[in-house]
Amino acid sequence: MEIADLIRPDAIVPSLRVTSKKQALQELSRRAAELTGVAERRIFEVLVERERLGTTGVGNGIAIPHGKLSELNRLQALFARLETPIDFDSIDEQPVDLICVLLAPEGAGADHLKALARVSRLLRDRSVCEKIRGSESADAIYAIITESAASHAA
Amino acid sequence: MELGNQLILLGAGLVFVSIFAGLISSRIGAPLLLVFLALGMLAGEDGLGGIHFDNFQAAYTIGATALAIVLFDGGLRTHRDTLRLASWPALVLATVGVIATAVLTGVAAFFLIDLNWLQSLLVGSVVASTDAAAVFFLLNLRGTNLVKRVSATLEAESGLNDPMAVFLTVTCVELLQLGMPEASWSAALDLGAEFVLQIAGGAAFGLVGGYALLRLVNVLQLATGLYPILALSGALVIFAGAQNVGASGFLAAYLAGIVLGNQRHRATQIIDRFQDGLAWLSQIVMFLMLGLLVTPSQLADSLLPALAIAVFLMVVARPLSVAACLLPFRFTWRERGFVAWVGLRGAVPIFLGTVPVLAGLPNAALYFEVAFVVVLTSLIVQGWTLNSAARGLNLALPPPPDPSQRVDVDLPADVGRDMAAYTVQDGSAAAGRHLNDLPIGADIDVVSVIRDGAMRRPGTVGRLSPGDYVVVVVPAERLEELDKVFGRPPKRDRRGRDEAVLGEFAFGGEVKVGDLVAMYDLAVPAAEHDLSADTFLRRHLRGQPVPGDRLRLGPVELIVRKLDGEHIKQVGIELDPQPAPIRKDLLFIWARHALRRLRGVFRKGG
Repeated sequence: MEIADLIRPDAIVPSLRVTSKKQALQELSRRAAELTGVAERRIFEVLVERERLGTTGVGNGIAIPHGKLSELNRLQALFARLETPIDFDSIDEQPVDLICVLLAPEGAGADHLKALARVSRLLRDRSVCEKIRGSESADAIYAIITESAASHAA
Repeated sequence: MELGNQLILLGAGLVFVSIFAGLISSRIGAPLLLVFLALGMLAGEDGLGGIHFDNFQAAYTIGATALAIVLFDGGLRTHRDTLRLASWPALVLATVGVIATAVLTGVAAFFLIDLNWLQSLLVGSVVASTDAAAVFFLLNLRGTNLVKRVSATLEAESGLNDPMAVFLTVTCVELLQLGMPEASWSAALDLGAEFVLQIAGGAAFGLVGGYALLRLVNVLQLATGLYPILALSGALVIFAGAQNVGASGFLAAYLAGIVLGNQRHRATQIIDRFQDGLAWLSQIVMFLMLGLLVTPSQLADSLLPALAIAVFLMVVARPLSVAACLLPFRFTWRERGFVAWVGLRGAVPIFLGTVPVLAGLPNAALYFEVAFVVVLTSLIVQGWTLNSAARGLNLALPPPPDPSQRVDVDLPADVGRDMAAYTVQDGSAAAGRHLNDLPIGADIDVVSVIRDGAMRRPGTVGRLSPGDYVVVVVPAERLEELDKVFGRPPKRDRRGRDEAVLGEFAFGGEVKVGDLVAMYDLAVPAAEHDLSADTFLRRHLRGQPVPGDRLRLGPVELIVRKLDGEHIKQVGIELDPQPAPIRKDLLFIWARHALRRLRGVFRKGG
């Protein structure tokens, strides 16, 4: 499971302008709906449901909201870099400015877990995050994500 | 007079240089104790210094004093929680484990060196105990933070197992001195009585002496500076008193430390601080001296068999005895593996190696030399790989924050709380927060904030900024918790491995297992889906959970992250856990670690 298989260049939002966790999840659900054809409302519900179990703000300004949707037929990631950091109830209580949404089909099983682990390993790397934070364009961010992921897999 | 001045210059100079050598060593991650030992050797007759020191009597006296101080200090730092978690396994390791290690190593010595069985057993006994100085020191280094059950067991074991090794050594030496005695009931009875006196006497001296000392500290009105001196001299009196009646002074010193360290008294802070410095000095002096004492050029003959014994001890004798001793207790195999690997040898074997020399046994230097090589090997191999092994076995926790910026004040003992001033560090959780929005409990009172040298009332402060002093009144056991709030977060690994240790995502302990099953495919029978993660984990983990405990559930692992009393407050989930890395070649782990260190040195040096 490579990150390049999860995310397409058009699934990158280089500078998202939102002011709250809820608004961020709404906005990302809307974009995910455009990419996948699944109803925006459904995606939003699944992500909020997951946040209720515990925050996906994993610290250092990173959040990885995720969930399962029976309507999907493949894993789908969406990445956003925020214009200004927002409060995300993160584990370390620091504001979040990089969000990677991961949606999985019901029954994706091991692939889903491996993909989540891969994304989280990638975003734990400080130098990768610094590079992403310093990038303005979707293409640049896409290149950083896919290239760094390849080196992490090694 | 001139000689006296030269001696002072020499002694102080060596200690002085040791501190700088220690600074350099932390760059390459070499165990500090090894550096002191090496420095002693360098100053000795075969090294640059050319100092000729072979006074075993002086070495024994200084070594015993230093060891007593280190053990007393270790006791002071052994918290009640440590004992609750680890006292039984540690006791078994400290008795049965020491005997098993001594016998197994003795068998190896019998075949490797030309010795009779009693002499072989003496070799085994000398190297049988783990070293409190090395263990306390290496487990409490900055950046080392182990699963508590493991570090508690290793610490308590090292504090408790010296008496057994001393007893075995002294017994072997006495038997060898008398010539081989006939095996008789009366001889065995004498031996048994001696053993009981050692252990029971040591325990009695330690406990009674410890409580007497506690009472004295609390009753006597002294100049503040005298309390630590009272404690120190008291501890040494307890130690030497026990030794003089044939009881174990080492056990007594450790127990007296535990008694004093776990009761409130009015000089807690000052005694702790003084002892901390003194324990450092003791370790430096002890290892320097042992380095001076050994003559490396004489090691040549015994080097190979001694190395073989060292390897046998590390990979056969210690693991076998640990496995056997921990079998009745609730440890995972990863934890057992780590305890087996970290059987750090230190000053004690070298110190015990002086006993046969002092007793005038034939061929006595051999024991000392073997002990020296074993300790050197252990410090290099085990000391250096400790952190990698902990990581490889998934027993390392994220490093704790920097605790350096706290000032404590001793309040009267019956208050039960401490007053402390914390400096708000840049990048800490407190910086930039409102005072009444700090993540601290309701039982912690903020007394005042000092900003720009002026005292502010809590109501008028607003947001905290780096450099503010926050004065709080806090229950003593929560002082360290506040370090995390005000302290600078620890330097993290840039690839984020430190955070990964406790899993990718975190949940409150109250989360339903069934919800996690639906999300992450945990393999849990439906009957348990309604349980909270807290209840579920406490049901399935063995014994009292500690942070870092893991439970494999199909493809993922649940990990205990935070505790609130007995309850699990926060759990983590690891989505792609490595297969148990115990199967990984340890050599491989070590080699990779060494390479990384080397690279670090060059980067910093350049």
